Amino acid sequence: MDFIFYFGDVFSPLSFLLLLGGTIGGLILGATPGLSPTMAVALLIPFTFHLEAVQGLILLGAAYTSTVAGGAVSAILLKIPGAPANIATTLDGHKMAKQGQGAKALQLSFLASAVGGIFGVLLLIFLTPVLAQWALAFGPSHLFWLAILGVTVIGSLDSASVVKGLLSGCIGLWLATIGFDDIMGAQRFIFHPSLGGGINIIAALIGLFAIPQVLTMFAKGRRAQGAEVIEVQKHSVLDATKELLRRPRALGIGTITGSIIGLIPGVGGQIAGLVAYDQTKKFSSEKEKFGQGHSEGVIAAESANNAMVGPSLVPLLTLSIPGSPTAAVLLGGLLIHGIFPGSDLFDNHPDVAWTFINSMLVGQVLMCLFGLYVAGLAARVAQVPQSVMAAIVLALSVFGAYSVQSSMGDVYVMACLGIGMYFLERFGFSAAPLVLGLILGPIAESNFIQGGMIADATVGKASYFLSGGLNIFLIAVVVASIAYSAWMELRTRRHTTKEEAQA
Amino acid sequence: MKKLIASAAIALMGLAGTAIGEEYPERPILMMVSYGAGGATDFQARIVTMTAGNEDALGMPIAIINKPGAGGRVGWNWFATQADPDGYTLAAYNVPHFIAQSIKGGVSYSADSFEPIANWGADPAVFVVAADSPFNSMADVVAHAKENPGKLTFSGAGLFVGHHIAALQIEKAAGVKMAYIPTKGGGAAAMKAVIAGEVMGGVNNLSDAFRAQEAGNVKILGVADLQRSDFLPDVPTMQEQGLDVDNSSVNFRGVMVPKGTPQEVIDELAATVPEMFANPRVAKKMQAGGSPMHIMTRDEVKEMWAAREQTLKELLAGL
Amino acid sequence: MNRSQHILGSGLVFAVGIWVAWVSYTQAPAEAFLFPRLIASVFVVLAGWTFGKAVLGLSKVGSGISRSMFISMVPGLVVMAVYVFWAAKALGFYTATAIAFFILLSLYDPAPHSEGKTWAKRALITAIFVAVMYGLFAKLLSVYTPREILF
Repeated sequence: MDFIFYFGDVFSPLSFLLLLGGTIGGLILGATPGLSPTMAVALLIPFTFHLEAVQGLILLGAAYTSTVAGGAVSAILLKIPGAPANIATTLDGHKMAKQGQGAKALQLSFLASAVGGIFGVLLLIFLTPVLAQWALAFGPSHLFWLAILGVTVIGSLDSASVVKGLLSGCIGLWLATIGFDDIMGAQRFIFHPSLGGGINIIAALIGLFAIPQVLTMFAKGRRAQGAEVIEVQKHSVLDATKELLRRPRALGIGTITGSIIGLIPGVGGQIAGLVAYDQTKKFSSEKEKFGQGHSEGVIAAESANNAMVGPSLVPLLTLSIPGSPTAAVLLGGLLIHGIFPGSDLFDNHPDVAWTFINSMLVGQVLMCLFGLYVAGLAARVAQVPQSVMAAIVLALSVFGAYSVQSSMGDVYVMACLGIGMYFLERFGFSAAPLVLGLILGPIAESNFIQGGMIADATVGKASYFLSGGLNIFLIAVVVASIAYSAWMELRTRRHTTKEEAQA
Repeated sequence: MKKLIASAAIALMGLAGTAIGEEYPERPILMMVSYGAGGATDFQARIVTMTAGNEDALGMPIAIINKPGAGGRVGWNWFATQADPDGYTLAAYNVPHFIAQSIKGGVSYSADSFEPIANWGADPAVFVVAADSPFNSMADVVAHAKENPGKLTFSGAGLFVGHHIAALQIEKAAGVKMAYIPTKGGGAAAMKAVIAGEVMGGVNNLSDAFRAQEAGNVKILGVADLQRSDFLPDVPTMQEQGLDVDNSSVNFRGVMVPKGTPQEVIDELAATVPEMFANPRVAKKMQAGGSPMHIMTRDEVKEMWAAREQTLKELLAGL
Repeated sequence: MNRSQHILGSGLVFAVGIWVAWVSYTQAPAEAFLFPRLIASVFVVLAGWTFGKAVLGLSKVGSGISRSMFISMVPGLVVMAVYVFWAAKALGFYTATAIAFFILLSLYDPAPHSEGKTWAKRALITAIFVAVMYGLFAKLLSVYTPREILF
């Protein structure tokens, strides 16, 4: 119960001011395309040079919390996911915004984020030692199977055609291999100098989601009916809360999946949202509504990606291993003040450790309050005429892709992928499985190679990858996931043929 | 209308072209780090450049950009081929990493592609094992490796980086064959593999290993340097333990510019940057973070690069 | 019409797949191309299947591109290509953005082109947007974008 003792520190005037600043700044940074939470936190590190350790961490903790949630704003309103965590949010969130329910989608996403986020931080507070063991349990073979599990999600993400969904996934897996091979250092598929660094995931996300959007607006031409949405429906926060409470399954699955997967070093943050979305869809009674602007999709995705925030710091705080890029940046923020995460942190600097954790807890609440306020204003974005919207999204994409690593190459890659994706979409391919392939490819490959090397030196590949409780469990889940998708596919196919016969 | 804008744009472009470069630096400077945000190089680069905006330093801030991938190859390739040699794009170097990679081949740079400015740090490689490991000295490790050739797994942050050089030197000095496992994701991932027991040992940065030892997760068995570290006065060097491993794998970090940068810019940087590194505020933050500093001037770095190139060519000749 | 479009689209994907497979199986070192080979094999099979279906006229998903859509899209696509691949770097981000933004607005804004007021409105929107972008990226985030003209 140490954490309650240090709650006072969060509310000292300067700390609270920083907390507010971090939260509001984080929301803005998170909503800016091209700025992932990692970069947002890295941008704030120089400010912490001038602050005390505790205050610096309050700023960083608040910013981390709210950038993850802020990514939902651009994902929902502009269909530009700010980070891999927000991909799943775009699927239903942007559809809702197009239907005039932007305010509702944003309110739900912030409420769900807060619920997930608070749960995640509470896990961090109470279960840290247990969770640390869990985080370490995942070796190369397990991460490999986890990536394969992610690949099986591809089939069900794309509702239109399973073959085209898988093919999109393959294209994504291939795109991920472009550039230097990470372990051997061999050059692969570098047919243009811009690809020398491989395809940057953030730039690719912007291109794949935002540019087809721009081209679709262009294709509509000069119409008198300019606005994307003629009417923005007002939506009260109370209604949003009720809606959230009516969807306990989406919220529960999202929160729990997010916190469990978020723990796993190196993998968690990127796929938590998508896996939660997929699981919620599988267990939902209204499967067919997913992808059409269904509130459960937004709730699951957003509760998962904020639930991951707390647990993702467990390996850092207990074992001094940064489990995610953002955690690595936070490690820098600690080290600058001479504080080493691990037992040193909790034993010798409990004020820092607990104030930091508390600030994330309070930050979740503040983030939610500000987010709800912003939701009402921001949803008007949908009222912008589509000619203006197309130009805004295009310019934001260019700036966003550039600012990832100050590289024109990324802008070119972003535009090429985006234009290609538009045409692919017209032929029934979709962006989500492609992006999933892009994210999972490197995880699967590097863990397979690394695991293979360990296996060759020790027990052999077969027993390394196929034995052990966790391996078998993961393989079983993979098999179950494939079987379930196949069964659902067959069932819907039979349904449609029956309907066609009746018609 | 459109024509008007276009012609105005062209006219303005002509104007802008003439008004470049009276006083260096006149705008913020970029520094490319070829490892991810939060890694040891990135972290240290951010600290040593934090006073760049002061009047007694460059008078302009330095912004860090990260181009991670393939053990640094992605960033340095970009730097050698695409960065403008105008003095506004700097990069952090890691020796022996980029020299070893250029000897191995498959990249578009060599030590001749870059002009060193100054060195800020030297981080030796150390051999670590998990806290509950049966190994208590390098002798235990070597003995186990002798009994089980090729079966002792140990991690490091990739191929042809400092950790790999240290690994090769240890194997050569002890006359044993072990299984070096390169991890993706840098020293942190390699350290995680050691702590989680996925591998039996590992080569890692002294600064990171020092922290992990403080946290009670690992034991440090030896330092691959010529003398003991101030951070770890109790840990013997490899040479003290009878392994002939010199300081070739020590990770020297510093600043460089692309070849073709104007000489006056290089001179200006070479004069101010070491001063900037010597700022006591920088030293305090580096000390707090457990990062060993080692400031060297441009001429000293040039010598060091040449010497490394020589030893690495010999070491890697057999591969 | 739709069928021939599907054949063209999936044919291109199939061609890319074959190229990827060819590169993966011919390049060295084999170790580094192990994974690409695996991916390429599945890629080619799936792309071949899709292509076959398109040839047989069995592709149902995806509606292709109609002539009117294509005609409306081309001017925007051209502006976009010039903006992204040339102007952004050559003219500087803010100048290029201002010009491209204004042209796109003029091309796709349904308000009549004959009235001076609508031109002024477009110019105003452009100015506000570029100012916001400048404030956000240059001032707040201090991202150093290429600048050739003005700022």
